[in-house]
Amino acid sequence: MIARLLIRPAFAWLRQPGLHAAVPILILLAIGFIGPLVLVAIFSFMPPRSFTLDGAPTIENYQTVVEQSFYLSLLRSFAFAAGTVVVLALVCYPVALGLAKLFGRYAGLLTLILVLPLFVSENVRLFGWVLFLLKGGGVLAGAAKAVFGLELADMLYSNTATLMGLCYVYLPFMLFPMVLGLSMVQRDVVEAASDLGASRWQIMREIELPLAMPGLVIGGLLTFVLSLGALTESKVLGGSKVIMIAADIESAFTFGQNWPLGSALSMLLLVLAGGLVLLVLRKLDLDAILKRR
Amino acid sequence: MTADQTEDAAPPILRLAGVTKTFGPIRAVDAVDLDIRDGEFFTIVGPSGSGKTTLLRMLAGLEKPSAGDILLRGERVNEVPANRRPTAMVFQSLALFQHKTVGQNIEFALKMRGIAQATRRARAHDLMTMLRLPHDYYSRPVTRISGGERQRVALARALASDPAILFFDEPLSAIDYRLRKQLEVELKDLHRETGKTFVYITHSLEEAMVMSDRIGIMRQGRLIQIGTPDEIYTRPLNKFVSEFMGEVNVLEVEQGGDGALHAREVARALKGPKLPDGATRGHLVIRPEALRFLGSGETADNVLEGELYNEYALGSRVQYHVKIGARMFVVERLREQRAAAAPGTTVTVGWNAADSIIVPD
Amino acid sequence: MGGGCREPAVRVGCDGASGGELVMVVVAKPLTRRLIIAWTACVVAFLYIPIVCVFLVSFHKARYFSFPFSDFTLDWYGKAFSSLQTQELMLVSLKVAGVVTAISVVLALFGALAFARFNWRGRKLFQRLLLLPIFFPQAVLGLALLIWLTFLGVLPSWQSAVFAHLVWIAPIVTLVVSIQVYGYDAAQEEAAFDLGATRLQVLREVTLPALAPGLVSGALFAFLLSWGNFPLSFFTTGADSTVPEWLYTRMVAGYTPLVPTMGALIVIGATIMLVLGYALIVLRRRRANSHG
Repeated sequence: MIARLLIRPAFAWLRQPGLHAAVPILILLAIGFIGPLVLVAIFSFMPPRSFTLDGAPTIENYQTVVEQSFYLSLLRSFAFAAGTVVVLALVCYPVALGLAKLFGRYAGLLTLILVLPLFVSENVRLFGWVLFLLKGGGVLAGAAKAVFGLELADMLYSNTATLMGLCYVYLPFMLFPMVLGLSMVQRDVVEAASDLGASRWQIMREIELPLAMPGLVIGGLLTFVLSLGALTESKVLGGSKVIMIAADIESAFTFGQNWPLGSALSMLLLVLAGGLVLLVLRKLDLDAILKRR
Repeated sequence: MTADQTEDAAPPILRLAGVTKTFGPIRAVDAVDLDIRDGEFFTIVGPSGSGKTTLLRMLAGLEKPSAGDILLRGERVNEVPANRRPTAMVFQSLALFQHKTVGQNIEFALKMRGIAQATRRARAHDLMTMLRLPHDYYSRPVTRISGGERQRVALARALASDPAILFFDEPLSAIDYRLRKQLEVELKDLHRETGKTFVYITHSLEEAMVMSDRIGIMRQGRLIQIGTPDEIYTRPLNKFVSEFMGEVNVLEVEQGGDGALHAREVARALKGPKLPDGATRGHLVIRPEALRFLGSGETADNVLEGELYNEYALGSRVQYHVKIGARMFVVERLREQRAAAAPGTTVTVGWNAADSIIVPD
Repeated sequence: MGGGCREPAVRVGCDGASGGELVMVVVAKPLTRRLIIAWTACVVAFLYIPIVCVFLVSFHKARYFSFPFSDFTLDWYGKAFSSLQTQELMLVSLKVAGVVTAISVVLALFGALAFARFNWRGRKLFQRLLLLPIFFPQAVLGLALLIWLTFLGVLPSWQSAVFAHLVWIAPIVTLVVSIQVYGYDAAQEEAAFDLGATRLQVLREVTLPALAPGLVSGALFAFLLSWGNFPLSFFTTGADSTVPEWLYTRMVAGYTPLVPTMGALIVIGATIMLVLGYALIVLRRRRANSHG
């Protein structure tokens, strides 16, 4: 009797058409996402340099992370990620405002123009920056010299170049959620606030930002998490000077041949980033955000 | 519950016996018994959440009843899915296929039955003629026609397979007033022309009155009154039904030993129908048009004085709010019989006992 | 190119100033409007600077480039097309992108119905789970997949790269299709069913055609994202190599003049796909509007 009481709801749950439609992609995520992550989690507790799961569990790898000051690159990554979010929020807000409210029928075309670079391989675009910023023969330095006779300082392989690279690559990830958010702000609501005597500043603080918040939060979150785990930007534009956490993880897995250490570093990154994502996503109603359009 | 009084020789086209639908602990439709006669225009009226849409969806085969039986021409159809029932539905959103043309929409049911293109096309054009849709609309996308035309396409689409019953799920609810009035008339005419059984649901008793042969009032999953528009209008079963009709004056009354009625909001004793035997309290319902303004020398069974609060022109009629004691009375007169007084002045209002009715709670 | 706001350090300062002023403006005045337009132009220029550079350099004749150049040539394009190695690279990239597109569109169609159409217990959880791979650092995902594949004994190849791409791309395509699903009246399916269509006919006659625009843009996204992907391919292709991977290895070590040329070819490939996709969508809309 008790068994039947338990089984019947479970059976009803299994018969939902929505669940059936979700099954193919759930299988993909189970074997392509959750599986690998569980494996990484287990490997992070294996003895250093082991390639099997036979060893006795240990927290040695996490100790190594602290002792060998890997946390410095984690901190650096956090700083870069935070910097990217701040810079992009400021850069994108006016553009998003324009796309959502001002450009009207040109917004579609402009969106296409802004999306296009996203589909060009990331390293091609970063390579373009190398060509642009390269000392001596680069496009910028060459042009400055030919036109103005100026000798520019080297800009490549620095923190600034890395930050710019991050901002460059993740700009659309901030911009489009922001546009989505701002287009949730109805024009007449803004006009109503203005009619009720709100100043421009008050309108932004009291009406625009709160209503656009889901978009802003998603954009910020996306940018933060993606730049936290960025690899190519620092390697191409930062050279050997700027080491971010993803580079440490990569070298532990590849050159270092130390899977457990790489796993431990990955876990740190994932727990921090994943925790943040889940925390924020819990507060958002995805249906409401995506339905508007 | 008012039973189906007329015992026709012809069996009903649709018979509902104890039809119930539960969603978890909620009884959306609660043991509904109903016979719908062949060829009648039957309308189910109820507020939102009364279960009328769920009931209609069970009749169409889009939901299965949790209990009870649905009989179509005497055969039990509980388990027959919508695509195998000889019925068609006009949806609230119309649910026209946005990616198809007018012609493709109308022909859909025929195409599903594997009927040849030429036959389908001829049928579509016949229906377009009947519904007064221009024939050059045939290859136009449904996204490029007006709201009223879309209604007609939805009707044509439902009629194409010659269904025995047509179901309507509030198709006129999102339409502006004038077009709605026009389409109500067209629907009633279409019902006459086709001779089919129409089952219509709406939250507007006014809309139901215009079109229906019979009306069922639904409340909290139950059909509480069934009758012709006239019966519903003149003999509402209770306060809920009478208030559902629109603005009426309802007074909670007690009957004194002398037979006079006493309402808390009105100082004077009132003359009216007798309360049912054994009851000591009830509701006195007075329609706005039963009230009139009394000039000097004129009289009525009940005469009250109050302040004319405001007046509202309704075209051929004028509505007044008159404050009598603590109570606002609604009075409606023809334009020719409008009050001589201006808002703010004192007026005398009266009505005859025969023009009011008593209903239970 | 972007006027005074070209140099990165200055650029940051630039938005500090004008951004701070702009955020206060809601009901746009002509000046604000002009500032926003100018700023948008700067951002567009910023996005296109590196791509333009790659194109410029790809026409440069000399082996090692130095700006401004004197001689232009198309020789490197000829070499790129005649070299067996680069042909192989492009073939692998196309193969991966093609297969990823086909599979992810099918997965996304059902995924989007589960995401936006059906109301089922577990949907909210599914929505969040689906977003996780998108919000996930790709390089780390690629590495995790690498040890996962090794652990399972799968030899990395272009097929395993397809699998890796799917983990990231299928959820994105699902989101794209979901937007279409949200915008469509599901009562159309019930209407078709009520009018006598079988479940299969409903899918073929109503659901698929109604969702077609979403599926086309989803396919476009899938192809382009796979075609340009580097971090996932890098760790999961094994002996096979895609164009972005080859570019990276050549950029880090062993530069050849073919690098900008291949880079330019990748851009051209992506642009062709995008234009084709856009044309398809516009054509559809035209056809829908040309009747009556």
